[in-house]
Amino acid sequence: MSGWTNRPDSFGRISRSLHWLMALAILAMLVLGRTIATMEPGLSTLWLYGLHKSIGVTLLALALLRLVWHRFSPPPAPLPGPPPWQMRTARATHAAFYVLMVAVPASGWAASGATGLDVLIFDRWVLPPLAPVSQAWEDRLFALHGVLTKALALLVVLHVAAALKRQYRDRDGTLHRMLSGRARPRR
Amino acid sequence: MHRRTALTSLIALTLTLPAFTARTATETYRLDSAASTVAFETDFGRDHIAGTMPVVSADVALDFDALARCSVDVVLAADKAVASFPFATQALRGPKVLDTANHPTIHFTSTRIRAEGDGARVEGEVTIRGVTRPTVLHARFHRSDNTAPGTRDALAVRLTGEVHRAEFGATGWLDMVGDVVRLDIVAEIRKAP
Repeated sequence: MSGWTNRPDSFGRISRSLHWLMALAILAMLVLGRTIATMEPGLSTLWLYGLHKSIGVTLLALALLRLVWHRFSPPPAPLPGPPPWQMRTARATHAAFYVLMVAVPASGWAASGATGLDVLIFDRWVLPPLAPVSQAWEDRLFALHGVLTKALALLVVLHVAAALKRQYRDRDGTLHRMLSGRARPRR
Repeated sequence: MHRRTALTSLIALTLTLPAFTARTATETYRLDSAASTVAFETDFGRDHIAGTMPVVSADVALDFDALARCSVDVVLAADKAVASFPFATQALRGPKVLDTANHPTIHFTSTRIRAEGDGARVEGEVTIRGVTRPTVLHARFHRSDNTAPGTRDALAVRLTGEVHRAEFGATGWLDMVGDVVRLDIVAEIRKAP
């Protein structure tokens, strides 16, 4: 398993793959969700709803898989250097990321089920509803889904900004470690 | 589309009301459910959602000399309604639209029928989701195919009209799917023995 698992000072291939795969999917979902929320519905765009649900449930599964994987193979500690308040902020941001990576798709799943329509993914599997079928539940859950999604988008911005700052201003190799496994400062 | 072709051929064979020979008695007709369709359509963005609904029962009494004596009473199977695609069917039958678990049928009963052009204006009350509202349907009568000219033993009645679903509490997905539901009913009826 050399190279696949995390080590005290480096990310393994599995953690890095999960990170970048989920990063791409989350960015795509933020765009897709916004598109769905603002587009005029029609027969030609119905498939986008199915795509949104399918990717969302996949992201939920990947988030849970990532949490389980980190139990077996803990990720390395953050690289030292920034002041304590920045380290605390980074820890809080990461914790919030995991909460939202579960809560955003789960709230979307629950809201979708509350409409009374099947939560159909990949045009094949129907997921069980997570909430009672009612207008009140539907309204509240979609509102919650929207708020959580905006919070996730804010975290993405914070996370990307912090990673770029540490890579290009602090030059501590934080971003490089998530790309190649090991930190290799550019100096 | 098949129904429209059939309807076009029926119209070609049309005997409109004034062409019927005079009679005085009210005739009772029975619906040929298999040959009849209840079609509906509503807007979905720039597209349309269409569907059909079977007829459970229909009592039709016609008096072509005194339209005021005519009456129509129809019950539709809302719980067997089918729309353009599976999600639309599920939405249509679900609690936010027809709520067929609690209201499996739609009921229309006429209150007044009078001549309108070469057809008839059918005023009545429709009950959807347990809510009853007045509505108007426009009827055209045609002699059915395979019947002799001048007879009216078998007729095709085309009824058109519209309902505003929100008036009946069927408010689901109003931001995506139209409020006005257009109805196009072709009822094949035969004189009761």
